[in-house]
Amino acid sequence: MSEAKLPHTESHATAGAGLDLGWMSRQGEWGTRAVAGKQGLTLADIQIGSYGEPDEKSDNQTGRPRGAVARANSYRIGGYTVMSKSEIWLDNASFLYEEALQRQWSSATDVPWHTIKPLPDDIEEAQCQLATFFTEVEFVAGDVPARWIASTTPDFFEPRQCLLAQVMDESRHMDVFRKRALANGGGLMQTSGGTAGVVGSIDLARDFTEMSSRLHISGEGAVLTMFRMGELMAYNEAEKAMYRLCAQDEARHVAFGVMHMRYMSETAPQRREEIQCYLDEAERQILAGSQNPAGTQTDSSEALAILLGGGKAKYDEGVRKLIAIRRRQVQEYIKRVRSTGFGDRFDNGRSSLVDTFDHHVAA
Amino acid sequence: MTDKNDSKPGPDSVARIDANADMAQPAQPNLKWMGKSHQWGTRVKPGKHGLRLGDLNVGIYGEVPPVWTDQTRAPRGAVARRGVPPLGYAIRDKVDLWADSAADMYEEAIQRRWAPATSVPWDTIAPLPDDVERAICQVCTELSQYANADVESVTHWQAQMAYGYHEIKQFLATVSFDGARHMEVFRKRALCNGGGLGLEGPGEVNRMILESRGGWTEAVLYLFVVRGLFTQTMYRYLERYAHNDAERTIFAHCLEDKARHLTYAIDHLRYAINHQDDQNLILQQLCMIGERVLVRELKDGVLREALAIVFGNGISGAQAGLQIHGRMMADYIKRYLATLKWLGVERRTLFPEELSAYLKVS
Repeated sequence: MSEAKLPHTESHATAGAGLDLGWMSRQGEWGTRAVAGKQGLTLADIQIGSYGEPDEKSDNQTGRPRGAVARANSYRIGGYTVMSKSEIWLDNASFLYEEALQRQWSSATDVPWHTIKPLPDDIEEAQCQLATFFTEVEFVAGDVPARWIASTTPDFFEPRQCLLAQVMDESRHMDVFRKRALANGGGLMQTSGGTAGVVGSIDLARDFTEMSSRLHISGEGAVLTMFRMGELMAYNEAEKAMYRLCAQDEARHVAFGVMHMRYMSETAPQRREEIQCYLDEAERQILAGSQNPAGTQTDSSEALAILLGGGKAKYDEGVRKLIAIRRRQVQEYIKRVRSTGFGDRFDNGRSSLVDTFDHHVAA
Repeated sequence: MTDKNDSKPGPDSVARIDANADMAQPAQPNLKWMGKSHQWGTRVKPGKHGLRLGDLNVGIYGEVPPVWTDQTRAPRGAVARRGVPPLGYAIRDKVDLWADSAADMYEEAIQRRWAPATSVPWDTIAPLPDDVERAICQVCTELSQYANADVESVTHWQAQMAYGYHEIKQFLATVSFDGARHMEVFRKRALCNGGGLGLEGPGEVNRMILESRGGWTEAVLYLFVVRGLFTQTMYRYLERYAHNDAERTIFAHCLEDKARHLTYAIDHLRYAINHQDDQNLILQQLCMIGERVLVRELKDGVLREALAIVFGNGISGAQAGLQIHGRMMADYIKRYLATLKWLGVERRTLFPEELSAYLKVS
């Protein structure tokens, strides 16, 4: 990083008596004048000159801002494990982060809770069972990114900022579903246990891309499909608002995963097979397993069927709609993975997703 | 915002999914989950400020035990499923993280959200004299680095906290998001007015915060009280001596955020002291250690000089600026000592002379 030199003037020499001022000659690229655009002064606007995109490798172990001048004697705080851009980068992180900031919402005041009226018992139980599930799983997507934030060098602050926004989003989701469960004469019900640490789960990822493939592409992708179909599961304006606002957040998280994987596809061909293995695992464990609320014969899928059908008595009708949701989950997942550049897995027989889906549909 | 993609799924894969779905026969549900709840009939109504997190603490949903033994992600009050493997949350004792105010601070953080891109009137920043611009850029560089340490510390600990204390986890999510904003806004200020980033800070206090081996309570003391009060006092003075509305707005928002962090910190430390023997003595020891680290870091003159130039409106006013800096330090130390006194943490003995000196001068 080049250091700007301060022109020495007599006034500085005399007026600065008693002051060292040596630091004034040790500053980064000078003369930077980022200009606010239509969306205000965004992160993208300040990515100029040497403050723009980071190098492929970071040597920043002191936590200094990217582009700040390093000191030889600064304390290392590091222990960062993510030090290569290709491990975490995505091209539109700044945009996603700024959007997250603009689209923050409050579950206390942006959901019209007063529109919730008493529902038939079976419907209320189903809503509460589904809300219990979401309250349980949403913060997986809060805890896990949090660990990765602390492990990533601040030179890659754009993806880190996105993950920080995600932690905030998931906190809000955990909160809104708990509120729904306790707002209408119901209560929390039984947990799924589906977020426990089985091999291949989100918690156990040792690599950021591994984690992101399971969390963003697969897990959150499946949940996003559901949130987008919230109109089918909602019985009042409060529930519609809840699912719509959550879907908005979830879409950003999925976009993060897609853009990161696309970046990997373009810049890290040597990791292609490795990433295909992550997708193999994700497809087996998450899309078809108990972490998918629309998955096979889980408490939450039965609750969903009741909600979609309009009651226990219309369970079969609800299941048919649920199957349509699962179909859409798979279709959207396939589209998503194709857009990342890893879609060959669906053409060369590598993905058993369609076969898995056939089996579970028939079950 | 949508996950845009231009490609279509391969014709064979999607056609097979459609065909098989139509042939599927629904399986019979077992519905064993129905009727399983520890407390049914809960009906929490929204109040004047909406339906807030703290409002949900009714009946068993508000019973916050002293130890959370469940090692899964079971929400407090839910019926736990037997046989679920543990996830290994390290912080499971209420005394290690609790604060009654956390739920309220969480909701307040959401209500007081701001976006640096649009909440700051960036167009009010006009070119400043070179020495002042360099000084403000240096200050912003160090403040951005402080915020990075905040973020890394909070996210590290938050991920280890058990789900039974969700209010704390949720509040800390807002704290780390505040940190993200602060990192961002100070970087933006440094890069928007013909300047650039400055020299990184010495980092010893950052290191101390991040190396809090004694647990989250120790991290709270260092992060929010020892350094947090220092940062907050600095923000107050920087707001007072700001050169434009943009800077005033930046520091005003940051002050609001910091106030919440401090509220949680004092609340938690008080809880810890009241519920754990000798916690006040432990905190006293930690203070002694932390103050010495702070003193060493303050010996580095870069931040002091930069602040003096900002307060004095230039190198020519730096001597006057140093006096203002001295008052700032005195304010910080008074507030720090008053906070500790209120908590019952004695600091009359072995308080660093270098910090006492600021009180004598003021």
